[in-house]
Amino acid sequence: MTTAAQHAYDSYEALVEDYFEKGWTDGLPIMPPTPEKVAAFLECAGLSGDEVLGTVPTREVTCTAEQAAANAVMAGCLPEYFPTVVAAVRAHLQPKGNCHSTTGTLSGAAQAVIINGPIRNELGVASGAGCFGPGFRANATIGRALRLVIRNVCRGIPGFLDRASYSTPARYSFCFGENEEASDWEPLHVQRGLAPEQSAVTVHSLMKMVEATDFTSRDAEGVCDTLVTNIRANGIAGDAWLGEEGNVVIVVGHEHHRFFVEEGWSKADIQQYLWPRLNAPATSATDRMARIGKPEGILIVAAGGAGMGASWLLLPHLALAITEPVS
Amino acid sequence: MELEWAGVPSIAIVHEEMRGSAQAIARVSGCPDYEFLTVDYPWVPIAIWSKEECLELAEIMAPKVLTALTGQS
Repeated sequence: MTTAAQHAYDSYEALVEDYFEKGWTDGLPIMPPTPEKVAAFLECAGLSGDEVLGTVPTREVTCTAEQAAANAVMAGCLPEYFPTVVAAVRAHLQPKGNCHSTTGTLSGAAQAVIINGPIRNELGVASGAGCFGPGFRANATIGRALRLVIRNVCRGIPGFLDRASYSTPARYSFCFGENEEASDWEPLHVQRGLAPEQSAVTVHSLMKMVEATDFTSRDAEGVCDTLVTNIRANGIAGDAWLGEEGNVVIVVGHEHHRFFVEEGWSKADIQQYLWPRLNAPATSATDRMARIGKPEGILIVAAGGAGMGASWLLLPHLALAITEPVS
Repeated sequence: MELEWAGVPSIAIVHEEMRGSAQAIARVSGCPDYEFLTVDYPWVPIAIWSKEECLELAEIMAPKVLTALTGQS
């Protein structure tokens, strides 16, 4: 196992410029991954540097904990964020996380990192107003760390193995928490078999994000029908390799969530309502089948702030949403 | 506030969920104690309202506006 070479620089500016020159950043400045900081991150996660977090066989890539730690430092993470970054890397590098396809695709798919459990509040992961955007260190740097691993370790470099026609700003960083405190809804990680007190990360590779606005409906069914219309306008093809386990993530916004809570709808109720309607045969080019194998494949997440009557649809690329515990 | 500064008696109506941003604007405008009326749920902050919903809300808010502007209930 190789260890990262050490380089000496006269100044921070010289280091950053050299990193830009070598193509080791996402186009933004980075924090220097000093050996001391990398060691502190590894210690925080209880990992040795040569621990393998995952592989990308098509690319002959093996990602070690040391490599992930260096990129987490560069992304601006604090040491205590690193176990969460490790879980995100492990999730994305699962075979059906499909790193090679989702980071090389012409479509410019992005990775959503969804955080559940106590670690959200311990790290200050935003799950309310503005949670998709800038202003929150944990969100910004954990999502960025995964993307830097994809770039610097998994070789997802634009013009090389990243062949996106446009790419997307979500590829700088896309990380948010589920607002578990908003209701008694079962959190995503619990739906996926983990204990409520277990922190976890779900990584979902998305082909595109679609905002499903609905300022008119005043009840749960009306909101669900809007979700169906918006998903079916795009369609989801399904994939033989993914089988019946495919996913779509629906981030239910505050103003829509209210109607579900008022009417006592659980996540399972929403899944049962949506599933047959999504899987119904196409009727036109703008009303297409959204092929999801099971109701449980529709992943419902509460997040976002008050105001907009909107939810967000994270439509899948060729991968499963993978949930990994934070250990 | 700009209407007030122009000499036009006025009162702003904001949604309860927007109270924080309204207070922030009042603060940066140098009027931290500026008072405004609020609307709460079941009226949502942004909506396409029916005529009936508009009338119902107006009936609730109009007396409050009158009181705020004139001091008379």
